[in-house]
Parts: sequence; structure tokens; C-alpha cells
Amino acid sequence: MVDQLGNGLLLGIIISVASVALSLLYSVTRIVNFAHGEIIALGAIVTLFFSSPVDSRIIYLDRFSPLGIDFILSAIIAVFICGVFGGLLEVLLFRPLRKAEVGNIAILVVTIGLSIFLRHLYLIFATGRVQNFPLELERRQTYWFVDMTPRNFKVLIAGLIVMIIVGILLTFTRIGKAMRAVRDSDELASISGVNSDNIILFTWISSSMLAGLAGIFQATINDVRYNMGFLILLLIFAGTVLGGIGTSFGAMVGGLLIGIFVQVSVALPFMEGHTEAKNGVALAIMILILLFRPQGIFGQKERIS
Amino acid sequence: MKISGKWIFTLLLTIFSVSLVFYLNPGGPLRILGNLLTFAGIYALAAIGLNVHFGMTGLLNFGHASFMGVGAYVTLLLIPHAAGREGEISENGLPFLSALLIGIVAAALFGLLLGLPAIRLRGDYLAIVTIAAAEIFRLLVRDLESITGGVYGIINFSSALQKYRPLFFDEFITELELAPAQIWVGLLSWVSIFFTLILIKRLNQSPWGRALRAVREDEDAVRALGKNAVWLKLQSFMLGAGIAGLAGVFLAFNYGSVQTTLFVPLLTFYVWAIMILGGVGSLTGPIFGSIIFWAIISETDKLAALIFENADGQQLAGVRFALVGLLIMILMIFRPSGLLGKKEELLLNVK
Amino acid sequence: MSNSFIRIDNLKKTFGGLKAVDVEHLTFDQNVLTSIIGPNGAGKTTLFDLISGFQEEDAGEIFYKNKNITRSQPYKISRLGIVRTFQLTKVFDRMTVLENLMFSGSSIKNDSLFNSIFKTSNNKKYEKSLKDKSFQIMEDLNIHQMADSYARELSGGQKKLLELGRSLIKNPEVLMLDEPLAGVNPKLAEDLLEIIQNLSKSGITILMVEHNIDAVMKISDRVVVLAEGSVIADGLPQDVRSNPKVIEAYLGTVND
Repeated sequence: MVDQLGNGLLLGIIISVASVALSLLYSVTRIVNFAHGEIIALGAIVTLFFSSPVDSRIIYLDRFSPLGIDFILSAIIAVFICGVFGGLLEVLLFRPLRKAEVGNIAILVVTIGLSIFLRHLYLIFATGRVQNFPLELERRQTYWFVDMTPRNFKVLIAGLIVMIIVGILLTFTRIGKAMRAVRDSDELASISGVNSDNIILFTWISSSMLAGLAGIFQATINDVRYNMGFLILLLIFAGTVLGGIGTSFGAMVGGLLIGIFVQVSVALPFMEGHTEAKNGVALAIMILILLFRPQGIFGQKERIS
Repeated sequence: MKISGKWIFTLLLTIFSVSLVFYLNPGGPLRILGNLLTFAGIYALAAIGLNVHFGMTGLLNFGHASFMGVGAYVTLLLIPHAAGREGEISENGLPFLSALLIGIVAAALFGLLLGLPAIRLRGDYLAIVTIAAAEIFRLLVRDLESITGGVYGIINFSSALQKYRPLFFDEFITELELAPAQIWVGLLSWVSIFFTLILIKRLNQSPWGRALRAVREDEDAVRALGKNAVWLKLQSFMLGAGIAGLAGVFLAFNYGSVQTTLFVPLLTFYVWAIMILGGVGSLTGPIFGSIIFWAIISETDKLAALIFENADGQQLAGVRFALVGLLIMILMIFRPSGLLGKKEELLLNVK
Repeated sequence: MSNSFIRIDNLKKTFGGLKAVDVEHLTFDQNVLTSIIGPNGAGKTTLFDLISGFQEEDAGEIFYKNKNITRSQPYKISRLGIVRTFQLTKVFDRMTVLENLMFSGSSIKNDSLFNSIFKTSNNKKYEKSLKDKSFQIMEDLNIHQMADSYARELSGGQKKLLELGRSLIKNPEVLMLDEPLAGVNPKLAEDLLEIIQNLSKSGITILMVEHNIDAVMKISDRVVVLAEGSVIADGLPQDVRSNPKVIEAYLGTVND
């Protein structure tokens, strides 16, 4: 079980980062972004393209060769590209929809369509097979009570640092307060001088950057797939629901817990021989939470129905 | 039936897309038409079920494939079949009709099970829960290999249905150089569509349908007037699920085998695209949406092959799905009422 | 065991630290028209929500005809005979006026899936009488000319009338009206007021939240004043009107 704890922490921190991103976006825009997974994947795919050696064949069309840039630099660039992508989504797609007062349900379906579209664009143009970042293989080492490779350990620490920074930014800065104002009331915010359009744009950009980062973490630990975002999307939902929809802190904690539960569940007796179903454990938890305590651990008991 | 602009457009578009299929496939148009109409029929039936959820009641169900799967698996397991890697044979079974009935009820009950936690909650929660439940269904089917055959699936069940084919049917179909087995499934799908639509039309104009529309409009007002909104929604959920279960059975018999890769989210998205295209809330929308959808989609592979030289199978499939995603987006943004939906009846807001 | 029609004991409700309702004891007698007034944010609608089951109280109990309805669900409370309307009208926009009424008046049995699939001649007779009843109510409220129009095409005042009609077709014992005159033009408000008064005379117990003080004074048998969640005055209209605490509560908010 201790073995799995390490994996659990890793998965947890990744879902945590991704959940905060999703929760932030939902808090401010009230949109459940089903295309979130594709922004996550984008981070990984862009990093893959930038960092892979120049002659390797990443992209199907073979017309572009990867750039062979230093990995860390690639990752940083990728995160920014994700931010830009998120900003474009808001400016070109979601803002016009918002101004046209298109309803929530329609927007939700649009994000689902977007997710299908993007995911298969990745399939067509980037990668249909499983690929890996050009990093060397490492051996596991012991860090306190868990075993993992040094690189994975760095990911874990990086994730924790990101979480702390996000937490501080949200709670103490003006932007953070402005985001919370827009969430609570669009009109009130604009009266007190907050430009909700800008805040929403900022949220899209930061949420996408975080998502891209989560994708890079995930690809570092595992691999790059065109549908990697879709695969963990449900876990992200589970983490957000568990922690409490609408609270970023809840998303952090919920994501971490879900990751741990999922991996640790593999060690449980009834899971023997069915280890791939571990994701199902997370989903079952989510459904139970929605049944008995829909506001999650930290959420507020608003009228959810 | 008023012959209004949108009907004319829809009929023309249908004729156009089917003609397109003939044009692009010079050899054996009847065979292609037979295949197209069979798939269209099965998916139209599934879309009719989804329309009960979303069109009639405003429920966001993104796990529709799992209802189809429950209907299929339960039915198949009750008739003679072979399952799993070894192809373990179960010789005994119920007559097809009984098994089918039980399968449909099972799908409806699965709908009840899903609905219980989620239907009290807001729309987007239901969407998430249905996706999660569909994934759990897929995992369960995959892991309970001894029952469901796991990834190897179930085969050798077709005879339970095919044995009812009349002789004259076989003769007629074979003369047209078509496959009787598949056309039989197609025919039954369309017959089912006919009866299902009669049922739904009846319900639409009934007190129950009226109650459901009120729920769709304003749940709080419904409660203040003494009606149990949750139970009404659950009933609608079960009805749509049962219809989906029936469609799932036909899907299984069309392929002659089932395995876990059949009832997956992609299937749900196809049905959604068809429903939106045909027109949310429209009675016959799913029919036209399905025919046009399948006509176009089956030709996109050719389109993809033209654009991408050296493309492999995966990429071609990717083109198809990317287009489905794009279609859903464009429809929802620019023409949410689809081909035959009523603009005034559009439900776009979660209350 | 008290025999008051509606009884409220120690009712408390807070929202994020702010006290919304704090009522130690309040009763309503049968067949009396009680108006509930008070400055904005006094907790009037919250009180309605708590009684009708749309919000859950933090503490306290509510009894209706000696039956504890504190934690009952809204639809069950409605079936017991308490029907409420809402501050912002909740008519069914994409259904016709007639359908709005017929839905409301239709019995649970008539609405059932089974009955709707297997329509019998009894069902048809029921629907016919339901339709007649609906037209009767529409005529009483003078909205019968809009019977086949979609509810969203109605004017603000007509929507209020429709909501009232929907409540009446259920033969309620208690009618809880949340700002029935809000946004209604003066002429229509006069008609509406007369209708409400007649309903009271016909035996329906009425609880009315209203801001229109003239209307309140005109037709109420009793006035309850709420401020910051608690009852600060309770009695005959003319007594309440001259109550210094009431004047202060209203003036106090004007000065803010």
C-alpha cells in the first residue's frame, strides 16, 4: 500500500492542479468546461513537439520536425501557449456566446463538441500512438516513506509549490478578490469597478496555463496520448465534486484525495485482478458524494437543485 | 402536417445526402442504401430515447450508450449465446421476445438507478454523473468476464432473432442482392421507430406530457402546485432509457457480436449529434437527422482520404469524429433548433 | 395542543451569519386575511419559503392543522392545501394559458404515465371537466381571451392573474401570495385586490406579503410586521399603522 501511496500522491497532485484550474473557471464563468481535458493534453503535446529531437517523427504529417529544445524551456513555452489558447477560446468563442446570452446548457454542449473536435484534431495531426518525453529513464529512490524516481519527486514538489502559489494568489491579491467578486455577482462587480470581461479572460488564461501544466506533469509521469485529457477528466470531476464545487481550496484537497484513493484502492482485496478498474472507484465515490453530500467537503450548501 | 420551409429543406437535404452516397459509391447502391438505412434506423431509435430526456424533459444525459449497452447485454445473456475468450456456450435461453422485454426493463431500471442520485441536482451535475455511470458500466462489463465475456464479448446469438425471418422476406431480399440478416434488423428497427413515435406522440399530448413540459419550464412552480417533479423526471428518464435499450439490442444484432468497445462515449456523442441535427424536441427529427448524419459521415472517410495522403485508419476515423464534434458545436451555436426543432420551444438555460 | 390553523414555533434561519428569520411564536387562524409587511430584507419571502418547504429551517417547527410540516417537501405541503405564489411570477412560458391551468388542476392520478398511455373514456371526461373548470377560472379572472396564447406573451399583470388562477384551481385552503400586486398597473391592481378580498370572504385563509401599504390597509383583517427577521408588530391594520416601532423600522431604512 505504501507503494501505491507514492503513485497516489503523484496522481493526486496532478488531478489537484487540474481540478483547481477547472474549479476556478467554473467559479468565475459558471461553465463546466468539458474541453478542459484537451487543454491538459495540449500542454503535453506542445512540450513533446518542442522538446523532441529534431529528426524524430512526432507529427503525422511529417512536414514539421520537432524542435529539439531543452525540456524545461519547452515546458515553460508550452504552458504559455496553453494560456494563449485559453485566452483565444474565451475571446473568439465563449465571450461572443456570453454576450449573445446563450444559455448554460447550450454552452455545456458546445464544450463537449469542442472537446470531441480538439481531441480528434490531436489524433489526426499529432499523435495516435503513445509517445514519451525525451527524458532518460531513472531508477526509483526512497523519499521518506515513498519510492519514486527523482524526476517524479520533482514533479510532486513542483505541483505542491504551484498549489501553494495559487492559494496565496487567490486569497490575498487584488485579482483573486476580483475573481471572487465576479463569481458572486457580475453586476455588483462591475459597479465596484471590476471589469468582468477582463477578469474572465484572466481566468481563462490562468486556468489554461494550470491545465497545461497538469498535462505536462501527467506526461512526465506517464506518457503523451491524444486522449490523455479525456482519460483523467472524470477523475478531475470526481476531485472537484469531492472537494466541493466552487471552492478552489476544495478542488485542491479533493483532487489530492481522489488521486490517493484511486491508486491505493489497487491494494484493496476486492480489487485483485481488476486493477484497471481503479478509476471506477473514484467515480463511485463521486456518485456517492452527490447522493449524500452534494456540496462536497468544503462546498457551501447552496440550493443545488 | 404543415408543409413549412423547414420540412422542405429537411426533405431536400435528406434526398441530397442519400444521392451523394449513391454518387460516390457507383457499385451496388442498394447494398449501401440497405446498410445506411439499417444504421440510421438503429441510431434514430436511440436518438428518440435521448429526445425524451433532453427534448421533452430538459435532462442532460451523456451516458446514453450505457443504456443501450444494458439493454443489449441483458437481452443477449438471456438467449442462447457464446461468451468470453473460450466462447463458452449457453445453449438454453428465453425466447427472443421475453428476453427483449426483460432487457428493456433492465435498461429502464438502470435509468432509475442513475436518476436517483442525480435528478435532484442541477443539469450539469447530471451530465457528469451520467458520464461517470457509463464509464462504470463499461468497466464492470469488461471486468466481469465470466458473465459478460469481457473484452471478448458475446457472439453466436443472432439466430434467436433471425429465425423469425419469413421465407418470402429472404427470397425478396436476396433477389435485391442484399443481406437478409441485416435488412431484417433494419426493418425491425424502423417498425419499432414507428410504434415508439406513436407512443411518444400520444404521451406528448397527454396529461403526463403536459406535466413533463411544466417540469421543464419551472420545477419550483411545479412543486408549489403539488406535483412531484423528481418522480416525473425519473419516469421520463426511465422511458428514454428503455427506448435506448431497445436500440442497443438492434445494434448488437446488426453486428452479430458485442464487446466492450461498442457502448462507449463516442456512441453517445453520435446520438447527441443526430438528435441536435434532427431538432431537439421534434418527433420525427431523429429520423431525418440520423439518415443525413449517416449519409454524410460514411462519406467523410473518402473526403479525409482526399485531404490527407498517407493517412492511416486511425487518422481517417479521427477526421470523422472531429467532424462530429465540429457539427455539435456549430449546430448548438448557430442553429440549436436543428432541422425540425421548434425555435420557441428551445431549452437553453439551466434554471 | 393548540388549535390554531398554522402555528410557527421558534423558527430560525440564517444565511452565512446573517439572521434572516427569527420568529419565536406566530399563529394564523383559519379564514383570516393576514398581510405580512416590513422593509426590504426583513425576511418575509424567507418566511414564506420556510412554511411552504422551499427552504430548510435551522431550527424551529411549523404546524398545519396540528400536523408537523417542518421538514416536509414542497409538493407534499401543497397537497395538504397550502398553495403559494412567487415574487417573480413563475408561469410556464412555453405553455398556453389553458395548459398552465389544466396542468395545475390535473390530479396526480390523471397525470400518471399509465393513464396517459391507456386513455380511457373516464380520462377523457376528466380532461373535459378540467378544461371547463379552467375556462371558468379564466373568465373569473378575465384572462379567458388569452386562453390559447403562450404564457410568456402575457403582460406582467396578466401573468400574476394566471399564477393566481393556477393556485385557485387547486381549491386551496391556504393561499400564500408573495407580492401579488408588484409591478401591476393601478387599475388591474384594484381588480386583483377585489378578487383577493372575495377569495377571503369565500373561506380561503390568505397570507399575503405586500409592499403596497394602502392595499394592505384596505383588505387585511390582520397585519404582521417583520423587521430583520423578527415580528415587531402584530394586530389590526389601523393599530399597526400607528405603531411607533413600525414607523421607525420603515423610516429607519429610508434614512440609510
